[in-house]
Amino acid sequence: MHRNASLGLAIAVMLLAGYGIFAASSWPAKAALFPLAIGIPLFALAAAEALWTLFGAPPARQALSDLEPTAEPAAQRRIAIAAGWIFAFFAAVVLLGFPIAIPLFLFLYLKLQGGEGWALSIGITVVVSAVFYGLFEALLHLPFQAGWLFSWLGFG
Amino acid sequence: MIEALLEGLVLVLQWKALGFMMLGVLLGFWVGLLPGLGGATTLALMLPFIYTMQPVEAFAFLLGMHSVTATTGDITSVLFGVPGEASSAATILDGHAMAKKGEAGRALGAALASSLVGALIGALALAAAVPVVRPLVLTFGSPELFMLAIVGLAFIASLSSHGGRGMLRGFLAGALGLFFATVGQDPQAGVARYTFDTLYLWQGLDLVPVLVGIFAIPEILELVARGTSIAGQLPAGKLTRGAFEGVKDTFRHFWLTIRCSLIGTFIGIMPGLGGSVAQWMAYGHAAQSAKTLEERKGFGAGDVRGVLGPGAANNSKEGGSLIPTIAFGVPGSTAMAILLGGFVLLGIVPGPDMLSKYLTLTYSMVWTIVIANVVTVIICFAFLDQLARLTTVRGGVLVPLILVLVFIGSYTSNNHYGDLIVTLVFGAVGYFMVLAGWPRAPFVLGLVLGKIAENYLYISVARYEMAWLTRPVVLALVGIAIAVILYPLYQARRRSAHA
Amino acid sequence: MKLKLALLACAALPLAAAAQTNLSGKTVTIVVGYKPGGGYDAAARMLARHLPNHIPGKPTVIVQNMPGGNSIIAANHVYNVAKPDGLTIGTFNRNLPIAQLTRVQGVKFDMTKFQWIGSAANESTILAIRNDLPYKSFEDLRTAKEPVVIGSTGPGANTHDFPLLLKDLLGAKLKIVSGYSSSSDIMLAIERKEVDGRAGSLTSIQPFIDRNLVRPIIRARSVEPGIEKLPEDESLAPNPRAKAIMALRSAPEVVARPYVLPPATPADVVSMYREAFAATIKDPALVAESKKAKFDLEYTSGDEALKVMKDVLSQPKDIVDEFSKYIKFGE
Repeated sequence: MHRNASLGLAIAVMLLAGYGIFAASSWPAKAALFPLAIGIPLFALAAAEALWTLFGAPPARQALSDLEPTAEPAAQRRIAIAAGWIFAFFAAVVLLGFPIAIPLFLFLYLKLQGGEGWALSIGITVVVSAVFYGLFEALLHLPFQAGWLFSWLGFG
Repeated sequence: MIEALLEGLVLVLQWKALGFMMLGVLLGFWVGLLPGLGGATTLALMLPFIYTMQPVEAFAFLLGMHSVTATTGDITSVLFGVPGEASSAATILDGHAMAKKGEAGRALGAALASSLVGALIGALALAAAVPVVRPLVLTFGSPELFMLAIVGLAFIASLSSHGGRGMLRGFLAGALGLFFATVGQDPQAGVARYTFDTLYLWQGLDLVPVLVGIFAIPEILELVARGTSIAGQLPAGKLTRGAFEGVKDTFRHFWLTIRCSLIGTFIGIMPGLGGSVAQWMAYGHAAQSAKTLEERKGFGAGDVRGVLGPGAANNSKEGGSLIPTIAFGVPGSTAMAILLGGFVLLGIVPGPDMLSKYLTLTYSMVWTIVIANVVTVIICFAFLDQLARLTTVRGGVLVPLILVLVFIGSYTSNNHYGDLIVTLVFGAVGYFMVLAGWPRAPFVLGLVLGKIAENYLYISVARYEMAWLTRPVVLALVGIAIAVILYPLYQARRRSAHA
Repeated sequence: MKLKLALLACAALPLAAAAQTNLSGKTVTIVVGYKPGGGYDAAARMLARHLPNHIPGKPTVIVQNMPGGNSIIAANHVYNVAKPDGLTIGTFNRNLPIAQLTRVQGVKFDMTKFQWIGSAANESTILAIRNDLPYKSFEDLRTAKEPVVIGSTGPGANTHDFPLLLKDLLGAKLKIVSGYSSSSDIMLAIERKEVDGRAGSLTSIQPFIDRNLVRPIIRARSVEPGIEKLPEDESLAPNPRAKAIMALRSAPEVVARPYVLPPATPADVVSMYREAFAATIKDPALVAESKKAKFDLEYTSGDEALKVMKDVLSQPKDIVDEFSKYIKFGE
């Protein structure tokens, strides 16, 4: 898992650095200096990592931060579902706006994914939404745009 | 000077000043805790309220609020892996790891105690250094600041794992961070670099959405994958090692805590380096104190020293960054710039006057920092162990709450959906980095230092051409940078010689 | 079907109760194109505190920050998205007409089509040199033996553009060093003798003039008390084209804190706001506050502001092209 991920990431970085170098080459010298001075070593380092992964002995597990890569299929599936929920929340925020997305997401997640009972789900949703509303909207007047869905439908 | 010191204390202990300070502390507590309420933003919002206050009261309020955010920001970092403040991100690495092992109480205790030590050192520096700081700050010109950024980048070596492969990945992550720092309009030619024609990216990537994405999102994913509570690796579900243990740790590693506080103070004094650097350099230094290979591997997996270092540094830098603000009227960070606005509002011109005419006010600020931090730490300790119990709550309940915090925390950076996209993108990047065994700390260091390094390099060359390379402080810093890079290698050699 | 009609009717209601001049019970939002803590934000918050007393109905006035793209995002929002019901006001970078003129990508507004309330301040730009240097007048700068080093934050800021024109159009011997993260960093560099001076707004440099660190040498078009005697850059222009370019750079200074309403806002609402702003800026409480904050507020009428916009945007192409060679839109 480690190896595949490292190889994939290294290749992605190589592509990124390659693009960066290419884009920078058309800029005036002053603007391009740093991006090139970083992009070229970045490409080289990523290439080195990719090659080491492909041809070197498997490295000792030295992750500085300890996230046990849960490689079994069950855990992988759960991660995919989690990612799905995160994107769903993002979509809800963009389409419906924060004030609606937050209670909706909280309730649906607690009920469907967490499997919590009705009382707890509704309770938490109400409390957190109230805190959110009170603090961020009423007190701080942060601009939470209405969702795109509403502007499409003409409410805006 | 002693009379001014005592007078300052007396002024702060008046009812009104104390009252405002407590109000500030109460506000600052929540500001630090909640990602999305930035210390700087809230300062700006509070500024209008000080119009009618006396200077001592006004600063008791503002500083009381601000100096506390660095302390409570560590709490969410430890408990949830979400940085409450940008300057609390480094505490996540070991602090949250400890929480996962069921040692949340200990981690919180360590974070708070080291924060107090750091705050006291920062305040001490403010009190002692203000009279002598002018020559120091004036010596550090753009070439020196550039070299200081290089020294900061050299700490990547300490933040990387052991061995050649570890170093490669460390510097790879650092270079990647440096690369992302170039996004935005460059200050030399005004070219919009890597903005893909979006207005959002014109001013570059904001730190908070990236931090929140790269640290918090992988933690959330992993929490869901484990299907347990945060302290899930605990066999009996019982929390061990309460807060008091964390305090004892601070004294067990007292000199480390002091050294990291000094690092934080120094970085704070240097205007232009920004507040987020100190915590990473302190973390790197703490990692260097590991004596054996086993110990070194423990960093990132829950070594309490990884909490002590950044915990102390991110508080001491506050006292440090007040110094150039007061002595020169040059703010060391955004929050300081806003505080400066407060000075102007009250009719005070920061500068040499603060050391003569307004010396008492200056010292009252020192006492404010001390008292505010002591009070906060006492209050927090009262229910630290309860806070630690949060790590035993079901993941299914915590995850949506943390996610909401994460999204709001990111969005309030620019009030733009782009913030959320940045968080999601770097969330993915962070997740894959963890999977691939690439360290994230060097990435953040590169991101934070990239712009600073570039700008100061250009200024140095434009102003001095090549002559700046031979300035004495620059050469000294080159030496330090080399030492910082070589030290881990030297340590590795010693360890394998002993093994 | 009935449900649909009912829903549509509900949607139409807000439009029917459209813009009014009595805003009792409503909330007015000032959209600021910058994060909290900057000058535009501070000015907006100051105004927001005192405006309700001068708007019929005493509504609540709040400030929202919409930073990004040097406030182009905020301007776009107020121009295209905000409803023209008098409840949204926009304030943003005074150099946006330059952005529009030089066709910066992403600009989705037309400064001449906003409904202009006016400007809340003037800003004058000056160049100041460290006091211990032997240069006392602009002529000295032209005849200096060694270039005088000027620190700047980057293209698009007046710290950069003003000296650039002085150097390229008026022949001052300046060397511009860019990259400082803020104007106060430049002041520190001046104290360190790393740079010799800087350009910027009079308001921000005044404390350092008072402290005798720097002295002002030359100013741009806008005048404020204290710098009337300084030479004006345009008056030293060697030819009409140079003069036009300098005038173009200075033009937004009169509209230093612009406040606008969305284009379709009805005329009576606009004039209500113009009166409200004019009255607020004369309000003794606000005047006292702004004096304390060293913020000089001065009302420039919406008509004048609009005239400046039209002047800027109707410049002939060759001037604009020449101008673009020197000035890029930035801060």
